[in-house]
Amino acid sequence: MHGARTLSLVALSLVLAVVAVGTPAVAQAPKYGGILNLAQRADPAQGFAIHETGTIDVVWPASPCFNNLVYFDPLKKQESLDTIIGDLAEKWSWQDNYRNLVFFLRRGVKWHDGTPFTSKDVKYTFDMIREAPDAQAKLRINPRKAWYANVEAIEAADPYTVVFRLKRPQPSLIAMLASGYSPVYPAHVPPAEFRTRCVGTGPFKLKEWRKGEYIDYVKNPDYFVKGRPYLDGLRFVVIKELGTRVAAVQAGQLDASFPGDVSGTRAEALKKAVPQLVITKSAQNVNDNLIMNTKKPPFDQVKVRLALSLAIDRAEYVKTVHQGTDAIVGASMAPKPYGVWGLLEKDVKTLPGYGKAEANRAQARKLLAEAGFTASKPLKVEMGTRAIAIYVSFASFVVDQLKRVGVEAELKQFETAQWHPKVTRRDYELGANLTGIGPDDPDANFFENYSCGSPRNYTDYCNEQVMKMMEAQSQELDPKKRLALVWQIQKKLELDVARPVMGWRIGYHTEWPYVKNLVPHQSIYNWARMQEVWLDKK
Amino acid sequence: MLTLFGMSLVIFVLLRLAPGNIVDILFDSAGYVSEADKALIERELGIDKPVWAQYVDWLRAVVTGDLGKSYRYDQPAWQLIKPMIPVTVELAFLSMVISVLLGVPTGVVSAVRQDTGLDYVLRVFSIAGLSMPSFWLGMVIILSLVGWLGWIPPMIYVSPAEDLKLHLVQFLLPALAVGYRSSALIMRITRSAMLEVLREDYVRTAWAKGQSGRAVVWRHALKNAILPVVTVIGIEFAFLIGGLVVTETVFNLPGVARFLVEAILWRDYPIVQNLVMFIAIVVVLSNLVVDMLYGVLDPRVRYG
Repeated sequence: MHGARTLSLVALSLVLAVVAVGTPAVAQAPKYGGILNLAQRADPAQGFAIHETGTIDVVWPASPCFNNLVYFDPLKKQESLDTIIGDLAEKWSWQDNYRNLVFFLRRGVKWHDGTPFTSKDVKYTFDMIREAPDAQAKLRINPRKAWYANVEAIEAADPYTVVFRLKRPQPSLIAMLASGYSPVYPAHVPPAEFRTRCVGTGPFKLKEWRKGEYIDYVKNPDYFVKGRPYLDGLRFVVIKELGTRVAAVQAGQLDASFPGDVSGTRAEALKKAVPQLVITKSAQNVNDNLIMNTKKPPFDQVKVRLALSLAIDRAEYVKTVHQGTDAIVGASMAPKPYGVWGLLEKDVKTLPGYGKAEANRAQARKLLAEAGFTASKPLKVEMGTRAIAIYVSFASFVVDQLKRVGVEAELKQFETAQWHPKVTRRDYELGANLTGIGPDDPDANFFENYSCGSPRNYTDYCNEQVMKMMEAQSQELDPKKRLALVWQIQKKLELDVARPVMGWRIGYHTEWPYVKNLVPHQSIYNWARMQEVWLDKK
Repeated sequence: MLTLFGMSLVIFVLLRLAPGNIVDILFDSAGYVSEADKALIERELGIDKPVWAQYVDWLRAVVTGDLGKSYRYDQPAWQLIKPMIPVTVELAFLSMVISVLLGVPTGVVSAVRQDTGLDYVLRVFSIAGLSMPSFWLGMVIILSLVGWLGWIPPMIYVSPAEDLKLHLVQFLLPALAVGYRSSALIMRITRSAMLEVLREDYVRTAWAKGQSGRAVVWRHALKNAILPVVTVIGIEFAFLIGGLVVTETVFNLPGVARFLVEAILWRDYPIVQNLVMFIAIVVVLSNLVVDMLYGVLDPRVRYG
């Protein structure tokens, strides 16, 4: 069995290598026309209101309607500060030692309803998100306020110039602005309306949303980028059932898969059935992590948390829960070669839960004994999770691993409507959790998930020393020094067992060979604009 | 009317007894919670009021023809539900037609040829139908089609006005998957009812009079054995309206059953309440039709 699995993994790698090598290097002249049919796994929960959501279910189908100030270059696989390009901003400039960020906006841009776009729209949008005292509107749900905590003021200097004044230098603020989660909203449309309709400046205009069926877009003929988009339209077909969704790609009813839908085993089967399909292995910027309630004894003790982290064999996790193909190990930033900030492999191997499993388990038992938990008086915990397959397999694995060090964990499944209030009320002990991060940048991740008092810091981990390190890396202007600081923070977070990471998810983006310029990035949230995509069809 | 009123009360209370509400789900999809914002949205949706007050509000709105607004989609419930009803009704109807066409003749043949090779084959066929969940069969159909032919039925609903042929193709496969399971039940009921009737004196008399086999079986025996079958058909049809959820999901048909389950998961109360009431009305109506059919099929049953 083991041999067969290894063989199939080798076969898959070969197939992917052939695909990668076989891609023609000669650039083809793009063709105009055609409708791109894309998979969509559910009706978007909040319609097109990207600023009120934290799920790819909204960002994927809503992105073509909007523009950002800046955006990650859609044609480059790996996002970083160096791959950010202008979008509604023609150019930008850092001033006053990274304290002021000035955007020079494009002229002649119009919203889909014909209203001209100006700097007022930019100020309106980001004042609303950061909940400035003089903000003109309020979001019903505002998940990314923390991203802009360092913004002191936004000034619309003239209709085509906007200045973001910062409290302290923050070079990676621009990475947050380049994320698919940061479109500019029109100041003349109330934010609530985006739950049912969409008025953007984007390359595509919303034509129709038939609930539970599809979302149709048509080309924006007044789009400000000359010659774009190439496509006449887009159709996001809502298919709830994963098996049916993948079958629809295989049958050619859809031109490309939904981000994260295709696993390694499915990719292998698809390639066997339809050899011409183009499959690209890519990261998602989503990690599986174990949340431990640090406010509930005994998880207020680092040694108990460390014992649990040591008990879970990460290599085994990737092999068992993700079949060895659908995740890779790493700490709190996306690992290389996909991510930019991940720890080096040699450093990851020194973290709790890596290396020799038996030695780790012996150390875990020792730590538990020191905390007063022995074979005769075992630690009994409740392992909570959502009643969704991907969470349940993760949680079951953890329960099994904990049993090996004498921890009696009971698996309890909850519906989403029950699980989320439990976590936010901190009414849990242990939990299986998935965290998706917009841009691959430490500021977007650390402050949101590990800083004291952050609403998304589900474990309530709080370390003043780490907070200072986070602030320091955020304002560090030298990229090398910043990377070194980020590595230190990641090691510290794993040793403090703030939210131990089990693995980072990998997907196999699948599309038909005639789909061009749809390039998956290391974060699923930032490449859905579809401005550059074209179809090589007659 | 009393049944419907009772149903509405039960559903209303049960739904609110389930832990969590749509605001929890909205915040979950955003990944955080703000108690102040949560309270604000609950007030906006009216779910901060006592359950009895919410019920009175809902009842008052319903009698004036206002079915409320979906919390999830922020659109009138009726506007969302209306296009889905024909999809589910058509699928349920087609499934029933297939199940009757398959179930009744095989049940009759199985009874007439009791304990022969053909009877065994038909019984295995029916037990297999009862054992296979229709969603599993649906998935097998989809995967087999894509594997062998590289083709699956359309994933977007095609209305009969748009393309009748494609519409039938789209509905026939799910109807077969569902109809096969229901046909197994109908076949078993038909067979046992027929076996009972075939032993009756009047059937023996018919044989003795020299009537043809066809006349004895189809005219005399089946007509008397059909009442329990009709009852089962009525129950199955009512069950299908709410029970097609997985088949609609697998074949991606935008029907009410799939929508109902999603609405329950989202705690979209107005949608759930209205859909459950719709299903209750279908159950009441199908029972009424069955009762009326009794009168047509059995002259001894007459309603005064």
